[in-house]
Amino acid sequence: MIGLGLRTLATKEVRRFLRVPGQTLLSPLVTTTLYFVVFGVSLGTRLADVDGVPYARFIVPGLVALGVTSNAYLNSASSLFVMKLQGTVIDLLVTPLSHAEVLAGFVAAAALRGLLVGAVMWGAAGAFTGFSVAHPLFALAMLLLAAVAFAALGFVTAIWASSFEQVNIFPTFVLTPLTFLGGVFYSARMLSPGLRAFTLANPVYYMVDGLRWGLLGVSDGPPAAGLAILAVLAAGALAAGYAMLATGYKLRA
Amino acid sequence: MEPVVEVRGLVKRYGEVVALAGVDLAVRRGEIFALLGPNGAGKTTLISIVAGLARATEGWARVLGRDVVRDYRLTRRAVGLVPQEVNFDPFFTVEEALRFQAGYFGVRLGEARLVEILDALDLGAKRRTNARALSGGMKRRLLIGKALVHDPQVLFLDEPTAGVDVELRQALWRYVRGLRARGTTVVLTTHYLEEAEALADRIAVIDRGRLVLLEDKGALLARNAGQRLEDIYVALLRRRRETEAA
Repeated sequence: MIGLGLRTLATKEVRRFLRVPGQTLLSPLVTTTLYFVVFGVSLGTRLADVDGVPYARFIVPGLVALGVTSNAYLNSASSLFVMKLQGTVIDLLVTPLSHAEVLAGFVAAAALRGLLVGAVMWGAAGAFTGFSVAHPLFALAMLLLAAVAFAALGFVTAIWASSFEQVNIFPTFVLTPLTFLGGVFYSARMLSPGLRAFTLANPVYYMVDGLRWGLLGVSDGPPAAGLAILAVLAAGALAAGYAMLATGYKLRA
Repeated sequence: MEPVVEVRGLVKRYGEVVALAGVDLAVRRGEIFALLGPNGAGKTTLISIVAGLARATEGWARVLGRDVVRDYRLTRRAVGLVPQEVNFDPFFTVEEALRFQAGYFGVRLGEARLVEILDALDLGAKRRTNARALSGGMKRRLLIGKALVHDPQVLFLDEPTAGVDVELRQALWRYVRGLRARGTTVVLTTHYLEEAEALADRIAVIDRGRLVLLEDKGALLARNAGQRLEDIYVALLRRRRETEAA
């Protein structure tokens, strides 16, 4: 049974992002709609199918993955970092909440935001490309793991970071480039051998490819690779977050 | 009677800086215990260790006989902390802030208890006001409310009246006395010596990480007849500086 302390923390974190829906939920909707106006309506008819899938549909899984991961990351990272900055993190540190409860509260709320944004983006994309899902359970597992992994990464970053700039290093210089170069807009099979090798070394590629199999039923490689990479990433980030709480790293003097 | 708070051989170092250099003290149940000392003496560090915000380098701290590190889930339920720095979450109202804080402690804040806290701190009219819109004094009172939601057995007030006007200060004094009357132990740090003189049952002075005085207030004042606590405190620190210089 989930204790009142954990439920309270998760509820508070969810209410926090729901207080600013324009920033947390509607902004990704606008961005996604613009992508599909450009790639679906304006250019879509001129672009060739990829693996037998219309191009506008082909890019949906990658954009959904980007929305889920970046929003899950940003939620826990910004919320906890701002608590550190404002001093309100004391409110948590003096409570009897266990390390696991604190971690679970932040990660659950952030993962929920990521999944809500993913649903909003998928809904907006579906308005242009249709709503079919090839392997619903697999797609759901991929999205859940991605949301948890990146929520936990955001949590870890918030504890480590000493400035907003450090909080933004990961999404700006790591996540977004890896996602855009990870097959969101193309299949690795379309690339030259050199670029293909570069893409295959990108772990985010397997996440996008796995989700593409879940949503569209097509993939370049084995879909389970994406699932396995996300599972390892989630386990690693959760373990790091737990260790930081247990040792009091940058939280307790 | 077992002390509510007990620390033994408490040492805290931040690199080369020694914040606490081996402090032993015990706080008795139901008393108001004033912890005095100059800026940087180690008062907040000591409180932080007991409340779980900092870890001791050496020694130990106990609350109700339980170790604050090993049994933190038990000891933190017994402790309420009003931090020195005012903080607030701009996303939430006064009521939400109190309910969330209670929830973290596993306590469902009933309507009667919520109203009792709000009224005691004169925040009833601000119940649905965002914390961002409160005055400085109200924000400080909200901090006190958050420290009380789980009905702690010992309340740490770290300079609760710093920058607070006279009227509110006196209201807080009345409230602290009321808490003691209900059996809550209060540990108070302050730079206002008249505050400690008016409220405290016992006085402790920390200087440069060492406990240099621990005495019943009445006995201390009787021993130094005709002097105010401020005079005694200033003379004590002056003697220490002279001894250190010699």
